[in-house]
Amino acid sequence: MNNFTETSAVIFKNLSVTLGGVPILANVSAHVPLHGSTAIVGPNGAGKTTLLMALLGQVPFDGTIDYNPKDPRVGYVPQRVAPDRGLPLTVLEFMVLGPQLTPLWFGVGNRHRDQAMECLQDVKAETLAKRRVGTLSGGELQRVLLALALQRSPDLLVLDEPAASVDFQGELLFCELLERVRSKKKFTQLMVSHDLESVAQHATHVICLNRRVTAEGPPREVLTPDILTTLYGMHMGLLRSPATVS
Amino acid sequence: MDLFHRVLCGCGLDAGFMRLALAGLLLLSPMAATMGVQVVNFRFAFFAEAISHSAFAGAALGIVLGLSPRISMPLFALAMGLGIVTVQRRSLLSSDTVIGVVLSAVVAFGLAVVSRRPDVQRTMMRFLFGDILTITSGDIVFLSVLFGAFVVFQALAYNRLLYVGFHPVLAETHGIPTAVFQYLFAGFLSLVVILSVWWIGVLLVTGLLIIPAATARNLARSAGAMFWWSLAVGTSSAVLGLLISAHPAVRTATGATIVLVAFCWFLVSSVVVRWRK
Repeated sequence: MNNFTETSAVIFKNLSVTLGGVPILANVSAHVPLHGSTAIVGPNGAGKTTLLMALLGQVPFDGTIDYNPKDPRVGYVPQRVAPDRGLPLTVLEFMVLGPQLTPLWFGVGNRHRDQAMECLQDVKAETLAKRRVGTLSGGELQRVLLALALQRSPDLLVLDEPAASVDFQGELLFCELLERVRSKKKFTQLMVSHDLESVAQHATHVICLNRRVTAEGPPREVLTPDILTTLYGMHMGLLRSPATVS
Repeated sequence: MDLFHRVLCGCGLDAGFMRLALAGLLLLSPMAATMGVQVVNFRFAFFAEAISHSAFAGAALGIVLGLSPRISMPLFALAMGLGIVTVQRRSLLSSDTVIGVVLSAVVAFGLAVVSRRPDVQRTMMRFLFGDILTITSGDIVFLSVLFGAFVVFQALAYNRLLYVGFHPVLAETHGIPTAVFQYLFAGFLSLVVILSVWWIGVLLVTGLLIIPAATARNLARSAGAMFWWSLAVGTSSAVLGLLISAHPAVRTATGATIVLVAFCWFLVSSVVVRWRK
């Protein structure tokens, strides 16, 4: 168990969540390997986002969540953000809302500007710095939200269907970008995804969730027709098998 | 200098009560205008409306408890503002539904108490329209203290409130104590609104908050500039509104004139936005 703990960034033990009297998650036990890329997959209403919210301390739960390190810095990329189009908030200002204590009335400080620009460059979004956040396309906003999360130098990066508002090609590009950044920054990644093809290609660990964990392990062991059919309740197949894409 | 003096005298600013009114507006309007930036950001206009209508219930509670309305109104508004945020954070009901329920209850309570006391009905009427010309030097001292606290709050909270308004879970996950800022914002907003009711009136207080901020959104190219635009529009509208309303050729209600000047600013900003496109 000690080895397991040392190689895990997060361990869920018998985690249950009930919201408004409705059980959402029941006895979820799973682990997220340290420095790996873990994907949570499952049908709509399976409790994937709720599991992330429990991890982020946003919903009450029974059971335990252990972290390694004990108090990790967490970066979060939310699902479907709809920025206020009328708000004249520039991307650069958005990036410093958290770290800069001096109010934005006095502009963006040099130190925070440099730090923000570096993170924007990491996700190839430096040209967006002067744009209004409300005018960004889905793909541009997604990269800015990733830069914002990376700015915290996270130990754990949590992404909730970050590519929900972009097309198939956009999701592939985003996953490739994410893989490059992860290999450079060495954080643990936990992502909810609906795109099994992309999960097969980019994840190192998969958690199959439908209110409880139905399977867990490397993609080539988990993304099999039998397990996916059990998970989704219908026949599911990948265009390419995990064995050929990994 | 002589011309400036003549303008002030022409608008009645040589009178002591007019100078007090000007001082009051120079303290009140910057607070309302810059608070408005976050009110628009949080879509809190209905919240501000509910707090302004709590004036009747706050005054009525003062009558029941034997307290001066100057004490009971701010305390009641503060309790109501913090109460609404608490319910919003815990309830599955939508924000406007929660506010609508509380608003109806407090207005009904105020009217019920007042209906039994014909002698205080006139006092209640003054809250509808407010009167900046009745401001006292004691009020100015109190407003100055609140202004100082407000500047500190705005300086510390401006960036964080924008963050919380953008996406509360994102802000919280990235280390912002969301609840603290939401309660502080609701508390300060409640105080600014209820004090504005005394001098601007229930009917117009939302205009004092919203119009400068909406104008600033149209004119500003950044969130930092939005603050300065809102401050400039709110303060200039208040000063111009007071001078115009006091001019012998005009003689209109001060609160209404201030809001109309701010609305002119808004119209200009709307033209500027179209022109930029």
